[in-house]
Amino acid sequence: MIALRDFLPYLGRRVLGAIAVLIGAMLLVFFISYILNPDPAHLWAGARASKSTIAAVVARYHLNQPWYIQLYYFIQSYATGNLGIDPQTGKSILSEMEFYFPNTLELVLVSMVMIAILGVASGYFAGMHFGTKIDHAIRIFYLATWSSPYYLGGFLAILVFSTYIPLFPSGGMYSLTLTNQPAHITGIYILDALIQLNGPAFLSGIQHVFMPAAVLALLDFGLVARIMRSSILNARWSTHVKAARSKGMAEGEVRRNHILRNALIDTNTIIAVTFGFLLSGTIVIEEIFAWPGIGYFTYQAIVSIDYPVLVPCVLLFTLGVIVANFIADVFYSLLDPRIALGEGGGSEG
Amino acid sequence: MSTGAASMRKLITSNLLSMFGLVTVSIFLVVTVAQIVSSGAILPYSAYQPSYGQANLPPSLSHPFGTDLLGRDMLSRVITALPIDVGIPIITVGLSAAIGIVLGTLAAFFRGWLDEVLMRLTDLFMAFPTMIMAMAIAATLGPSLVNVTFSMIIVWWPPYVRLVRGGVLAIAAEDFVSISKALNSSFFYIVRKDAIPNVLPTILVYATFDVGSALLTLSTLGFLNVGIPPTAPELGMMVSNVTYNLFLYPYQIILPAVVVAVIVAGFSFLGEGIRESLDVKLRPHILIRAKPPKEFETKSQ
Repeated sequence: MIALRDFLPYLGRRVLGAIAVLIGAMLLVFFISYILNPDPAHLWAGARASKSTIAAVVARYHLNQPWYIQLYYFIQSYATGNLGIDPQTGKSILSEMEFYFPNTLELVLVSMVMIAILGVASGYFAGMHFGTKIDHAIRIFYLATWSSPYYLGGFLAILVFSTYIPLFPSGGMYSLTLTNQPAHITGIYILDALIQLNGPAFLSGIQHVFMPAAVLALLDFGLVARIMRSSILNARWSTHVKAARSKGMAEGEVRRNHILRNALIDTNTIIAVTFGFLLSGTIVIEEIFAWPGIGYFTYQAIVSIDYPVLVPCVLLFTLGVIVANFIADVFYSLLDPRIALGEGGGSEG
Repeated sequence: MSTGAASMRKLITSNLLSMFGLVTVSIFLVVTVAQIVSSGAILPYSAYQPSYGQANLPPSLSHPFGTDLLGRDMLSRVITALPIDVGIPIITVGLSAAIGIVLGTLAAFFRGWLDEVLMRLTDLFMAFPTMIMAMAIAATLGPSLVNVTFSMIIVWWPPYVRLVRGGVLAIAAEDFVSISKALNSSFFYIVRKDAIPNVLPTILVYATFDVGSALLTLSTLGFLNVGIPPTAPELGMMVSNVTYNLFLYPYQIILPAVVVAVIVAGFSFLGEGIRESLDVKLRPHILIRAKPPKEFETKSQ
């Protein structure tokens, strides 16, 4: 374990770094949207909008101002948390995102739990049986699922597990026929149902989230399994494992304390990194499974080139990636103190 | 160079995984090139001419992939999509690797503020979720194949800069580069003779794997109808155009999607296989017929 006196400065540096990346991302998104979209008023007002409508849109989004004034309004809107009105629906963008984001969080978190279990277990077995049929079978399986597009996984799952064998519903977040719906507390449906001890709602939530989350997990766990397998290979042939065996340590103890634990250090970080992949994956999965999440919302914004909505959505996804990487780094430095102390390293044997 | 090619061949054929990948990739490349060169003459049926009497036929010997709702042969339609589905990912990855080699070498050789600026910019671009950024840019630029390639490259180059920079930095610390510098070799001479040849294998392995990822992103753009023109044949779009047939004629959706998966799998198996054969740490264990040292693992208690 690392001493707090060494850890806090490191944590401070990491927080500052994450904030800097986020500010940079905001500026970059602003300039990209400014360069790519020279005449947004026509797009947002619609192809057959009258002159006065276009003028109103121009005035509302300050489109007739030079770029630095627009940048000022852009920064001001994020500083005050007033993201404005969605040109498509007329609702407040922030409240729409507050509605959609928890749903995506539910999907992604359930999927991450599945990925952690699947990835660590299959990587461990493949690594411990290196070169055997078990190893080949596991690797071919995860490489094949990793190679499948999300829509293939989604449609196959719907076809097999809700049509031919009707086990799971093919879409939606919860059963609409349920009369006793849990009240809105966190926005995450299964969590709300659990807090309020609403059994039927909880079960229906689990039943609905299982298939989309499992498809996401099955198609993305290859990344974790691959890293886990190579970390296991690194660890099991390293000198400290040989030393542990030669001093007579029991095999189970060697595997648990010296091989598995060392391999998990690298794998932890990669599990956090998959968060970004999953967020991207939600666009297709939410579209197929009719899941009212931020991926679906972003997709609607993209098809209608709705920049006032698209920009905060892209930034939210970016924030998700940055936070996940930050958590991974902090975990890594807690597990492997050499990182925070600037000695480099990783778990070389 | 012949010994290099020979050892490369041995490397690929010694590993079942990369062997499968090589065969798959070769088949698809050959069919793609044949389709481009012959401009459609290799197709068993016309990909565009409807024949309503043959609509929605399930897969059979004369139509291995079945026919769609206008009676067009699905296999022919899949083959017409290959130039886009194999070509654009290769172009994307190739150009991204080129950008990576230029920027990465510059950053590693000149260090200082140039390195700092390039690396921070790379960090920024890597923080963006690839798919969403590509979708947003492609949607804004409007549907065209050039635009979609451009939007893919914008999100695709950053890992290559990091990879090349890391590789060149490691090489720049080697003695033979210091000696070359001491002998007053020019920057371009060192880059051409020392830096590029040493980072190229790593880049090639990564790029092979990466063509698959690029195809996944491209076909997802097609599936979501973003960026790819409606008239261009693309597998993801082919799937999304007939999703309403999922329960009646599932093969119309599943088969083109499986073709995407097989192409991606070909490239990733090839990349993964080569990477493993090149892995110095694994090599001794592969060479002794995949038997890890057993002497310590049998009962030691």
